[in-house]
Amino acid sequence: MAAYFRIFFNTLQEYAVYRVNFLLWRVRSIIVFLIRYSIWIAAYEHVQSVASYSKEYMLTYIFFSSVLNDIVLSSKTYDIAAEIVEGKIINQLVKPISYFGIHLSREFADKLINIVCSLIEISFLIFILKPSLFIQTNLVTILLVGIFLVMGVIIAFFVNVSLSFVGFWTPEVWAGRFIFFVLVTFFSGWFFPLDILPPILYQALLMTPFPYFYFIPLKIYLGIPFIEILFYAGLAVSWVILSWIIAKRLWKKGMYQFSFFGK
Amino acid sequence: MKTIKRNAHIFKLLSIYSIKTAFQSKAGVVIFTIAKFFRFGMFFYFISFLVTKTQTLKGYSQNEAIVIYLMFTLIDTIGQIFFREVYRFRSLVVSGELDGVLIRPYHPFLRVLVGGIDPMDALTLIPYLAITFYYISLLPHITTQNLLISATFFINGLVLAAGFHIIVLALAIITTNIDHAIMIYRDISSTARFPIEIYREPLRALITFVIPIGIMASYPSRALFGKLHLSTAVFALCVSGFFLYVAIASWNHALKRYQSWGG
Repeated sequence: MAAYFRIFFNTLQEYAVYRVNFLLWRVRSIIVFLIRYSIWIAAYEHVQSVASYSKEYMLTYIFFSSVLNDIVLSSKTYDIAAEIVEGKIINQLVKPISYFGIHLSREFADKLINIVCSLIEISFLIFILKPSLFIQTNLVTILLVGIFLVMGVIIAFFVNVSLSFVGFWTPEVWAGRFIFFVLVTFFSGWFFPLDILPPILYQALLMTPFPYFYFIPLKIYLGIPFIEILFYAGLAVSWVILSWIIAKRLWKKGMYQFSFFGK
Repeated sequence: MKTIKRNAHIFKLLSIYSIKTAFQSKAGVVIFTIAKFFRFGMFFYFISFLVTKTQTLKGYSQNEAIVIYLMFTLIDTIGQIFFREVYRFRSLVVSGELDGVLIRPYHPFLRVLVGGIDPMDALTLIPYLAITFYYISLLPHITTQNLLISATFFINGLVLAAGFHIIVLALAIITTNIDHAIMIYRDISSTARFPIEIYREPLRALITFVIPIGIMASYPSRALFGKLHLSTAVFALCVSGFFLYVAIASWNHALKRYQSWGG
């Protein structure tokens, strides 16, 4: 266990090596947030609601989705693809510690950094912009949001890991990663809440893993009937299991076929 | 004249190599192109939706908001076609391979700025152009004068895009601490995907005159709509000229400080 803690702390320290880089990475995050915030503020200039979202609910969605996005989708699992393609994975596999333990430690460290930075930035932006936000006071609802968020983190982890395992078969891992990034941008609800999409498209999207990253947790936070939550819970649990099975199978198949020269 | 011919020949050769390299991964080209079209389509849908639901967006009609987005897309895409090599520049600096570029008997920009054209973006440009012309044709009261001013600012936008990429090159030499300066440029430039009037001061002034993204991607549309006053247009061109001067000065300064890394 001590080894994993060491990896966890080493990963945290890695961020401190390139401090300017780290700072600019966070600046990027603020710029993207300000674009989303500004477009919605402009949208509500002459109307009270857009697609059943009041200004207060929409701003709550925009602010909180920014934090949840950092919690759920931040990942260090991209490194796995490079390790496979460059053959470095062999060095990792012969170590007397679990390969997934190493990456989970790095993943937790990455998420911790993201959560802390994201919370600081959003608190600062709330202080500066003074938006009117909806604060959920129902503890059961908050607990449910937490549970869905954990499921979102697990689904995102397995999906990211599976995308990296593509490296077992092709060095072109960036193509799949790019299309996933583009899909996530729109289908996870990053730019706009998914239920403003045409109903058929929205219903179809609910069958994919994307809404469970943070759109559904936020929808629960903003208040939806319990029966609807149960429906989403069923689908989220299914995606947790399915993404786990896919990742496990890809790993097994990949390890069986994997070979590398010169190591 | 002889130098221009020689440079054009080198540019042609480098471009042919770049195209051949890109098409080595045919699946990657297909996925990349699909993802680009998907992203384009989703933003198109989002902007259309937003303006439909809110009547106008900061005084812009639906078609005007779409033309702003299309103009941004065109400048951004052309920038990516010609300046793709900038995305790979940092590795040249860190590995010390830049020495090999600097000693060649032609201007280094031929290699590090425009030496890796991106055929995948070129594929997407054709439909983007067709859609842009179609939406411009839908705009009422378009005059020849406005079209000419818009075309001037479009070219000015491409020159500014070159300036931004030169600054990114200079930054990569001055500090190897930043490994995604180009992504920061892309995030900042994406502010011009929407009318810049949606941003509050001082952000709007910052992205118009200090980091002239607004002039680069928004002014061609404003000129087209006849919303650009003569004094603003002249001032914008002066800002552009000064920005290009700063970009080239940054590059020259960076070269003086370059001391070859790695090797």
